[in-house]
Amino acid sequence: MLLAVLIANSEGNILVERFNGVPGEERLHWRSFLVKLGADNLKGVKNEELCVACHKSVYIVYTVLGHVSIYLVGKDEYDELALSEAIFVVTSAIKDVCGKPPTERLFLDKYGRICLCLDEIVWKGLLENTDKDRIKRLIRLKPPTDF
Amino acid sequence: MAQYVKKDDDRDEEAEYSPFSGIEKGAVLQEARVFNDPQLDSRRCSQVITKLLYLLNQGDTFTKTEATEVFFSVTKLFQARDIGLRRMVYLIIKELSPSADEVIIVTSSLMKDMNSKTDVYRANAIRVLCRITDGTLLTQIERYLKQAIVDKNPVVASAALVSGIHLLQTNPEIVKRWSNEVQEAVQSRAALVQFHALALLQQIRQNDRLAVSKLVTSLTKGTVRSPLAQCLLIRYTSQVIRESSTNSQTGDRPFYDYLEGCLRHKSEMVIFEAARAITELSGVTSRELTPAITVLQLFLSSSKPVLRFAAVRTLNKVAMTHPMAVTTCNIDMESLISDQNRSIATLAITTLLKTGNESGVDRLMKQITNFMSDIADEFKIVVVDAIRSLCLKFPLKFRTLMGFLSNILREEGGFEYKKAIVDSIVTIIREIPDAKESGLLHLCEFIEDCEFTYLSTQILHFLGIEGPKTSDPSKYIRYIYNRVILENATVRASAVSTLAKFGAMVDALKPRIFVLLRRCLYDNDDEVRDRATLYLNTIGGDGSVVETDKDVKEFLFGALDLPLANLETSLKNYEPSEEPFDIRSVSREVKSQPFAEKKAAAAKKATGLGAPPVGPTSTVDTYDKLLLSIPEFSTFGQLFKSSAPVELTEAETEYAVNVVKHIFDRHVVFQYNCTNTIPEQLLEDVTILVDASEAEEFEEVATKPLKSLPYDTPGQTYVAFEKPEGVPAVGKFSNVLRFMVKEVDPSTGEAEEDGVEDEYQLEEFEVVAADYMLKVGVSNFRNAWESLGPDFERVDEYGLGPRESLKEAVSTVINLLGMQPCEGTEVVAANSRSHTCLLSGVYIGNVKVLVRLSFGVDSAKEVAMKLAVRSEDEGVSDAIHELVAN
Repeated sequence: MLLAVLIANSEGNILVERFNGVPGEERLHWRSFLVKLGADNLKGVKNEELCVACHKSVYIVYTVLGHVSIYLVGKDEYDELALSEAIFVVTSAIKDVCGKPPTERLFLDKYGRICLCLDEIVWKGLLENTDKDRIKRLIRLKPPTDF
Repeated sequence: MAQYVKKDDDRDEEAEYSPFSGIEKGAVLQEARVFNDPQLDSRRCSQVITKLLYLLNQGDTFTKTEATEVFFSVTKLFQARDIGLRRMVYLIIKELSPSADEVIIVTSSLMKDMNSKTDVYRANAIRVLCRITDGTLLTQIERYLKQAIVDKNPVVASAALVSGIHLLQTNPEIVKRWSNEVQEAVQSRAALVQFHALALLQQIRQNDRLAVSKLVTSLTKGTVRSPLAQCLLIRYTSQVIRESSTNSQTGDRPFYDYLEGCLRHKSEMVIFEAARAITELSGVTSRELTPAITVLQLFLSSSKPVLRFAAVRTLNKVAMTHPMAVTTCNIDMESLISDQNRSIATLAITTLLKTGNESGVDRLMKQITNFMSDIADEFKIVVVDAIRSLCLKFPLKFRTLMGFLSNILREEGGFEYKKAIVDSIVTIIREIPDAKESGLLHLCEFIEDCEFTYLSTQILHFLGIEGPKTSDPSKYIRYIYNRVILENATVRASAVSTLAKFGAMVDALKPRIFVLLRRCLYDNDDEVRDRATLYLNTIGGDGSVVETDKDVKEFLFGALDLPLANLETSLKNYEPSEEPFDIRSVSREVKSQPFAEKKAAAAKKATGLGAPPVGPTSTVDTYDKLLLSIPEFSTFGQLFKSSAPVELTEAETEYAVNVVKHIFDRHVVFQYNCTNTIPEQLLEDVTILVDASEAEEFEEVATKPLKSLPYDTPGQTYVAFEKPEGVPAVGKFSNVLRFMVKEVDPSTGEAEEDGVEDEYQLEEFEVVAADYMLKVGVSNFRNAWESLGPDFERVDEYGLGPRESLKEAVSTVINLLGMQPCEGTEVVAANSRSHTCLLSGVYIGNVKVLVRLSFGVDSAKEVAMKLAVRSEDEGVSDAIHELVAN
């Protein structure tokens, strides 16, 4: 299960937060844990360079893209390698929508599109689509070209 | 988005301006009224939906009314023709549906979309329907979903399959009917469809081992298109291997070749998954491990942190069971100590600590010292734990390791970290006698400047136990008395108790301790004063060098021998009256904990200050006192052994009963621990009717009923049997719980006057030969064996027939004899064909017994065993052989 997708700005303010199978009362804890993890480790990290951690039996893969940081949390089959696959899809989709690694402003300008992309990529904790071109078409309700 | 004027990113001020700044839920909900406009403005509607999404993604919540109202308005947007807006509508419906009422109203619109010619409408409609559906609706749309699973458009098929995975949680019986379609989808040419189908199919069939095995067999031979699916397949394959390996007769591991083949896959994800699967195989051999370790070693020097992390994490696990196999990676591992990612560095260090040899310890510690200063406490704790294990593994290195621990103890750190260090030092002191004096001094120095009251009091308590036993106890007094002068009241009170312990245990120090204790009489805290007064008046001798009375020591410093929870309950129930509280009225029975708690407690017990180790005889001592206090059993003599409790009821039944078997020379007493779990009942006159017809040598001589058994307060009833003296009589006992039950009014807690007699059938249990054997270990088996001599040695060979494994055969024999395995010989190396096990014990009549067991297993898993017994009594040696022969 992909437990969480969280996107924050460089100050650690949350831009997007999507949890799956995480009880409401634990979300705040996760949010602050991830933001602190980013604050401690993401300084000086290049775009899309992956950081990794695990907390009990849960894995976390996170990175920076432009002015936003992206965190993915998973467990069981969504281990560090599966998460790095998933985060690659997320970063590619965001770059595709924004045309480049986004500033916070650009990210918020394209907020609706990005939400649609995330909806195509992760659905209730399962990875659904992984191809950025297909995702690009799907958020416009266009059929995929590759079948 | 009209109002968000396009900005040039180079202009910083504007770049920081958020299009959502000042966004407020109430205003957005107002804006959402545009959804109801007769002339829909698609662009504006999309903007409002985006704002709603922004609020929801920030963790904002809508009340039921708010959500329902917006939900209803959104459904109107199905009329809009704008495609972009339609896509947003699907999303917002999914987001709102968990908190809104009446979501079912969109069903008809979605059903329409589900039959649409446009594939992507179908896919989205399926996902939304799956989110809002219930069992009845699902039955109605099941036909469409089944079609969708085999749809040629991969987007539609994936949507249906992923929906299936979610629906399986709520409506498993319906989804299970789709297995033919899912099976077909597993063969799909579209990579992701295959991935999703495989996940769903496995979940549908997870309880059917044969089906999963067939699935794995066919797919491992066929084509799997995506790395993700391949990883799933590897996981399922390991599951099949786990379940089938025990039945395999040939010794070859099924599917190993497949896993090994995956090590050469082009995707790193697959390679890693296969390597991990191999390392986790039960009883994995070095030959099987080697290729997996090789690829993991390559990953250690990968440029990708995720790969390095995954590899070092896996190797760290392998190092726990096969440290030798990992040593080949040590050089790569050492270079990871300076890895930027601190998780990777910590894992590398702890792995090295597990795999390193004795000669490398000093060098390794030097490397770690530099590393410790720049990692967080949570990582430091992991390292400290690993160092403790290393110290216990190489006791000769305690100076280096203890030195390291005391150094880091002086540095900055939080409570958990300091506690981990202190616990480690305490464990080392307990396990390595030579480390005691230096360890205690390190702890003394630590409390001189310790900001944690808890740790100070724990260390003072520990000093009180260990300090008086050292060669020069007086040197600790200064540190302890400093606490009385400098600390807060809690620590001062602890220090007073510790001082008193020194006074009571070391007669020569008593006069000086008395001087110090007298000073504490003027402390400004009453607890400190009270303690000082108590000790001064009880330790005796009035400050002269005399021995403190044994009973006084027991009273002051002995264990309470009572579960604190029971004492607390009894104190709460005690009503102030003329009659003083009687500590003897407190039940000694430990309430049975749920299994998980027990495990956690056991794990905690293993180390540290919190739980001083309990001597092996202490439970027997407690039972001994308990039984002696019962007049009916006071003539039975010395208690030889008390068994562990045997459960006579299943978990979570109305009455929980377990039995402890107490063995005396001529008697056996069964102590039945009963708990009433029904709040509305009070049980009285509780007895056990024991049928001993299958235990011929036993004759019932006494019973002690339990007067009253209120809800959730454990109580005991006893039945005693006589048996021939010194004979290890065995037999089976069946039991019925008999009692008078009275209804209790839960509001007042008062029981009715009249009760009804009732009975409750319990499980039966046996008295077996092992009950007559005490587990008593010897420190050096060879010496003990030689010193017993060959006079009463009896040797014979036995065929144990075909067994599951050598390991199983060894543990069965150990359990049968009930003896203590020595020198770790109870552990059987994986895949070994022979094994020698050394056991020691004391047989009833206080006869020392040693056993040497040699096992061999052939290819048909036939196990042969040679049993050599030495004891102080010929008859006992023969009795052990008889035990095995029967």
